[in-house]
Amino acid sequence: MKRFKSLMIGALSAALALTVVGCSSSSSEKQEEQVLNIYSWADNFDPDVIKDFEQKYNVKVNYDVYGSNEEMLAKIQAGASGYDLIQPSDYMVATMIQLGLLEDLNKEAIPNMKNIVSTFQTPPFDPDNKHSVVYTWGITGIAYNKKFVKEAPTSWADLWNEKYKDRVILLNDPREVMGMSLIKNGFSNSTKDKGELEKAFADLKTLVPGVVAFDTDNIKQKMIAEEAWIGTVWSGDAAFIHAQNPDVEYVIPKEGATIWADTLAIPKGAKHKELAEKFIDYLMDPQVSVKNYESIGYSNPNEQAYSLHSEEYRSNKMIFLDKADIARAEWLVDVGDALQEYDRYWTEMKSGR
Amino acid sequence: MLNKKPTKLLALPALLWLGALFVLPMLLIVMLSFWKRGTYGQVVYEFTANNYIRIVDPLYGQIFWDTFVVAILTTVLSILFGYPLSYYISRLERSKQQIWLLLVMIPFWINFLVRSYAWVIILRSQGVVNTILQSLGIISEPLPLLYNSGSVMLGMVYTLVPFMVLPIYVSLEQMDRRKLEAAYDLGATPWKAFWHVTLPMTKSGVVTGSILVFVSSIGMFVVPDVMGGAKSALMGNVIQNQFLSARDWPFGSALSIVLMLLSMLLILLFFKATKASEKKEGTA
Repeated sequence: MKRFKSLMIGALSAALALTVVGCSSSSSEKQEEQVLNIYSWADNFDPDVIKDFEQKYNVKVNYDVYGSNEEMLAKIQAGASGYDLIQPSDYMVATMIQLGLLEDLNKEAIPNMKNIVSTFQTPPFDPDNKHSVVYTWGITGIAYNKKFVKEAPTSWADLWNEKYKDRVILLNDPREVMGMSLIKNGFSNSTKDKGELEKAFADLKTLVPGVVAFDTDNIKQKMIAEEAWIGTVWSGDAAFIHAQNPDVEYVIPKEGATIWADTLAIPKGAKHKELAEKFIDYLMDPQVSVKNYESIGYSNPNEQAYSLHSEEYRSNKMIFLDKADIARAEWLVDVGDALQEYDRYWTEMKSGR
Repeated sequence: MLNKKPTKLLALPALLWLGALFVLPMLLIVMLSFWKRGTYGQVVYEFTANNYIRIVDPLYGQIFWDTFVVAILTTVLSILFGYPLSYYISRLERSKQQIWLLLVMIPFWINFLVRSYAWVIILRSQGVVNTILQSLGIISEPLPLLYNSGSVMLGMVYTLVPFMVLPIYVSLEQMDRRKLEAAYDLGATPWKAFWHVTLPMTKSGVVTGSILVFVSSIGMFVVPDVMGGAKSALMGNVIQNQFLSARDWPFGSALSIVLMLLSMLLILLFFKATKASEKKEGTA
């Protein structure tokens, strides 16, 4: 026991010494080697692509992760975060522009930006790509397990089908869920109209008793383990689920759906802005993007890269969504003060009254 | 006898710690609750009482009620499970007691979130329980063991029962057993001796445990999310939403303050009630 104790103490002090050495070496290197500090979602880059970039430009990349846009926003707002590159989602880009938290992108330093498919050159949250560029994107559609859901769904109304009672799963996100019901009822997913919200909410209330769970982070596991048979799922997640459980298929309903994107953007006051732009440009190089997106399994918005992708990746309908489906999809727009109404409906829905 | 001054100094580090990391953040939350939410979710530093006015809404009243019902139920179930266990442990030999106490505490070494997901793996439709029952032919369809109020209660009691067991065990340990012998000598039945001697003498443990469990369950939002499928709205979840999806920190702060005041009131009433019953016993 005593020997074990001294071993532990030895190991601990060694670890401590290492971290001290690690800190001092990185700070002394700062002069000769540039550093890029990324603050992003987990697993959003191919580690090899980051390594290649580090070698090619003799730089060091640090990668911190967050779990929600709001967490990232809070940290950036608190100031002095030291980050050079962040990945806000669509609506958060709009919010951060309003709050003056994003730098202008120097497009001359990012010539590869022209490779992005035209639909993403003019997104409503940042119409001229002045502050952001789309990196990963997808559409919230219906994933269903064909073992239990015999007829392929075509409409959001199919979630309400009595046969799937207690087996429906919804994203644990007020804007996504209210947005779905709004679209089902023929309204915009970002309405501020009280009557429309009321109607969408009344409709949702009839669905909730048949919902097995609300989940965003672990919705994949619940679909794979057949806990849920049918539900609202992001296209990228659907591709992941399908790879693990081939019975799960994916469809974008006829009424339309919500499209979302995570972008690349530079927070105000970033210390290594030029390096961040160099990295963005590197990611949009067609060859690099092929390697990167096939590794992370998301849809590559790079038009020049399409022909370079493997047949398997290109033929995956959950990654390469149909043009007609994309045309029917709608972005979530920041609703400002109306977010309080969305939240109150959400609370009321969860409270079951 | 100890001089008063040096003993006071001993409390200084803890006081500084609490002042910096508890009182200051607390004051910040009080201040936040009187500020406004900007259109884009930022905090606007203008005084308003509107956050508190918004709480006067039957919807939030109902959620406060639900939250307290769940917390009280969790506390009562923790007593019902925790007391017999503590009693059993306190009657064992020393060496065995230590093993049992260790077993009660070991779950604390594993992250609480991980333990909640472990329950999901046990209870889900393709989980351990359903697979065993199905292979034994006892059931043909998997039982819905997860994502309901029962599984939320299970998760709460499972997580919090050690907070009940430890204080009750301590008070059982400190109890003067001679009084119990006296009761038997005077002809009390085991049940009567327990009810009139053991239980009153270990009340302090039950009170401490109850407050620990009650306070912890009031703020709980992980268990309803993970084991309840995020289907119920307890106050912890509503407050969490204000800080995340609704980006309304002032309203979330106001809800936190009201929740805190209401729980303090309940605890005060609980104290008063136990004190009153002590007095009654004293005079009897």
